[in-house]
Amino acid sequence: MDVFTNLLHGFASALTPQYLLLAALGVTLGTAIGVLPGIGPALTVALLLPLTYNFDPTGALIMFAGIYYGGMYGGSTTSILLNTPGESASVATTFEGFAMAKSGRGGAALATSAIGSFVAGTISTLLLTFVAPIIAKIALLFQPADYFSLTVLAFMSVTALVGKSFLRGMTSLFIGLFIGLIGIDVLTGQPRLTFGMPELLDGIDVVVVAVGLFAVGEALYVASQIRNTKDEILPVKKGIWMTKEEWKRSWPAWLRGTLIGFPFGALPAGGAEIPTFLSYTTEKRLSKNKEEWGHGAIEGVAGPEAANNAAFSGVLVPLLTLGLPTSATAAILLVAFQIYNLQPGPLLFQKSPDLVWALIASLYIGNVMLLILNLPLIRIWIKILEIPRTLLYAGILVFGTLGVYSMSNSFVDVMIMYAIGVLGFFMRRYGFPVGPTILGVILLPMAEAQFRRALSISQGDLSVFVTRPLSLGLLLMAVGAVLLPYVPVLIARLRRKPVESRRIVFGDGQED
Amino acid sequence: MTQNDAKSASLSARALFGLRLAALVVILLGGVILTQVPHIGTGAGFIVVGPRVFPTVIGIGVLLLGILFLLRTTFQPDRDLIAEVEAEETSTDWATIVLTFLSLVVYAALLKPLGYALATGLFFPAVARIFGSTRLGRDVIIGVILGLVIYLSFTQILGVRLPAGLLAGIL
Repeated sequence: MDVFTNLLHGFASALTPQYLLLAALGVTLGTAIGVLPGIGPALTVALLLPLTYNFDPTGALIMFAGIYYGGMYGGSTTSILLNTPGESASVATTFEGFAMAKSGRGGAALATSAIGSFVAGTISTLLLTFVAPIIAKIALLFQPADYFSLTVLAFMSVTALVGKSFLRGMTSLFIGLFIGLIGIDVLTGQPRLTFGMPELLDGIDVVVVAVGLFAVGEALYVASQIRNTKDEILPVKKGIWMTKEEWKRSWPAWLRGTLIGFPFGALPAGGAEIPTFLSYTTEKRLSKNKEEWGHGAIEGVAGPEAANNAAFSGVLVPLLTLGLPTSATAAILLVAFQIYNLQPGPLLFQKSPDLVWALIASLYIGNVMLLILNLPLIRIWIKILEIPRTLLYAGILVFGTLGVYSMSNSFVDVMIMYAIGVLGFFMRRYGFPVGPTILGVILLPMAEAQFRRALSISQGDLSVFVTRPLSLGLLLMAVGAVLLPYVPVLIARLRRKPVESRRIVFGDGQED
Repeated sequence: MTQNDAKSASLSARALFGLRLAALVVILLGGVILTQVPHIGTGAGFIVVGPRVFPTVIGIGVLLLGILFLLRTTFQPDRDLIAEVEAEETSTDWATIVLTFLSLVVYAALLKPLGYALATGLFFPAVARIFGSTRLGRDVIIGVILGLVIYLSFTQILGVRLPAGLLAGIL
């Protein structure tokens, strides 16, 4: 019954005017940014981090969670009307959503995605409420060796499952690990890989890396193609609502999407991309109206959108209970916690219960706010799409520079950020996913610290990682994640059938 | 060979060249990391895992991945990737990228002497122009307003420090 009292306390705190206002600000900002093509929640939170140093942590985190959530809702609008996903988790929505908009049923597509997001968001927040405290209790049993294996699992699953090539994913990850190494070693006080630059002694701030890779990298990439692309926004003719038939077909898809999205978000497997694609294929397989697919089947919008939102609450489970981010946005949220000297992990629920439960309660409230923002007010967001790209990306560069410059008014920081932006441009150009890089930067300190702790406990005996059952299990899961994409090929080989594709691809790994 | 074939062949050669160059950069990075490792001090006292262990492992990893990628582009080129890079190669506008980057550097350098508001008021229309905007007047107005609003709200409301520059006495 513990959970109920905690949650009630959380609501009491989240319903104060100040937190309500911050939640509203977060979801509105998140929706606006989700609607804009090319910029996603990870970038937005990264840009806002320096501005919130003076906020109280609960308020700032409520706002950030709102941005993340709002980004998920808003992303569907661009997918449906513009055929350009706002973030990678909305890619699956474009297939049927854009087809529906083309045949004049854009209103129904927007409605099913908004209501589906609400249903999935509410159910998955409920699941989060009950699952997270249990995982936090289990996580207390984790020892350094297990934590290290957990980071290995996160590294492997994100690089192996997301992105078209394992080799390129690993390269991205290692570039991130390298950036994470730069600076003074915490344990010995020795400067590492600073190339004699005093500015690098403190390491490269995650905000600098995130803004560089996501904002500047993306802006340069778009700039390189800007004269060769033209966008056409499809108008929404009829009202934004669904017929009885469409309701009937959406319901089961929402529920199935939720059930797929939540556990996949909770697993360290790259956030919302994989479950949205899984939901899409599931709906396609189960559909009775197969001939409609490709021409606007409503299940193909309802399922992935529900999965998308459910995955967000799922992502919060490992983030809050283990301190383990499983997507780029979650990684930035982890940084937000660390700014306020809060270490997410099993002890967070004991040390700062007020914050955790206010945050969870605010998710319920945010969902209701988002439903209102995205159904009656949807036409306002469609207007945002009419901002010319030239001004949009000029603005992104201004805000990106501002985010980094306002941290310490340092010219060098801004230059490092631009350099990382150039890196991000070339990574996009040659098909290297940027998600693993940011994960590498953020998780490297944790991986190294836990590795060292584990080995000093075992007095240098490396076998500690395979003799502890928990650690061994996590490492085996990591191996499984690497092998999983090749399973269909192996099966086809065994059956002596011609091999169609080399490995399955779950997403393009361009989460931003 | 027709003219079109020759064109597409040179395009695919250029894509392949770009990918190999990327692989070489990765290899180079691995080399740089490994040559830096001996410069890392080991610190006083005994610890089981010293400060050189992770840089060494990561350096070797980067080096190996770069070599693997180079081998892959040479012996078993990834057709899809090459097609993608080719498509981008044809539509890429290098002048825009270089100009954008240069204007970013100038912007960052001018932030302090000119002040945030003024530098932003200049940078915004300039970069919009580089991106292909033709309405200079509108862009200047938006840029100036953006610069002023950000400067005033950050310094007055959010308590974040930004350089005032030339407008020090006025704002």
